[in-house]
Amino acid sequence: MNKPLITGMSALQQDRQLCRVCEKHSSISENEECCPYCGSPISPRIENSQQKTWALLFTAFIFIFPANLYPITYLLKNGTRYPDTIFSGIVSLLSSGMSGIAFIVFIASIVVPILKIVVLAFISLAVHFKWQFNPKKQLIAFTLVDWIGRWSVLDLFVISIMVAVFDKGNFLSVYPGIAATSFTVVVITTLFAAQSFDTRLIWDANTDAR
Amino acid sequence: MVSQQPIIQPGYVAKCARCNHVFCKATTSKPNKVFALALAALLVCIPAFSFPLVSVHLLGITEQTNLLQGAIMMIDIAPVVSFVVLFCAVVAPTLLTVCILFSSGCMMFKKRPSLLNYALKLTSILIHWSMLEVYLVSFMVAVFKLTSYTELYFNSGLYFLVGFLILNMSMISEYDNAQHWKYLLNE
Repeated sequence: MNKPLITGMSALQQDRQLCRVCEKHSSISENEECCPYCGSPISPRIENSQQKTWALLFTAFIFIFPANLYPITYLLKNGTRYPDTIFSGIVSLLSSGMSGIAFIVFIASIVVPILKIVVLAFISLAVHFKWQFNPKKQLIAFTLVDWIGRWSVLDLFVISIMVAVFDKGNFLSVYPGIAATSFTVVVITTLFAAQSFDTRLIWDANTDAR
Repeated sequence: MVSQQPIIQPGYVAKCARCNHVFCKATTSKPNKVFALALAALLVCIPAFSFPLVSVHLLGITEQTNLLQGAIMMIDIAPVVSFVVLFCAVVAPTLLTVCILFSSGCMMFKKRPSLLNYALKLTSILIHWSMLEVYLVSFMVAVFKLTSYTELYFNSGLYFLVGFLILNMSMISEYDNAQHWKYLLNE
């Protein structure tokens, strides 16, 4: 029979674990692999959460350079190819007087991926080295980057719309460059990195926190 | 951290004192309402994806463009980009709608097929990858960019896409994961 749980204490200390799929809790010692309710793989914390997050963050860090340095799109006009990087695209938007759109693209394509890598790396380091920072503030930072992270996909959607609209062969076409694939890798790896990070580790690392 | 599950009034939620995560809510969600929203969303998604979103007048020719066209055109040049666009803008929202339609339908008709377990698991994954709202903002960004090059006319597909987004978001806000699992586990 299950012992009554003590509120305010960690479930881990009371031999309980939460299934992330069905949100039911079960005994750790009796259910080491699968949730007894939904059958999903279960563990007290996401398995190898830190390692997965670091691996994905390193991948994102490597790919962020080609994503920003190489052309993300090519404009083919009368047989001549005009490459456009993320930054040159923002500059051309600014010079066309579309500062609002330039700001959105700048935030979604440059600020968000870099901020996400920096914040996730900082929280992972804080967890690894047990730095005693305020866990609630760390969680707020994590929630923020997790929520805004999905908005980086914006640039990929814009590329797909531009490719569909400008399709006149050698006269006028837009097609994606090598940076588009690199940028996609950055976006997807940072999204997976946030998903694989177990926020409960923040409290596990902060011994005095409540 | 372990929290005590309180008795709460309908419309209220209980949050973790530590991380503010909602761990309990007095559900007011009705399966027939979710089912109706999911069914309407599924019907609307067909024209939303196949009808043209916008007409572009370029080099003396007016051409129509739909949501799938750009992603399909990129398959050879940038397959990874194409896959992500198709998955986040088309596959995930559609599959999510199908899963919610199926699970709310099961609740409504009091059925517990073995597939319901998989549908609920798939729902909890797809809910993070459905990015219709991001697509619509991207569309607006693209429209602003395009207006400096060409003349644009909005087509019926755009209205269906906006409708699909509204129905999809209403369906997600009405959907209660815990309620569906409780039903499946016969609690």
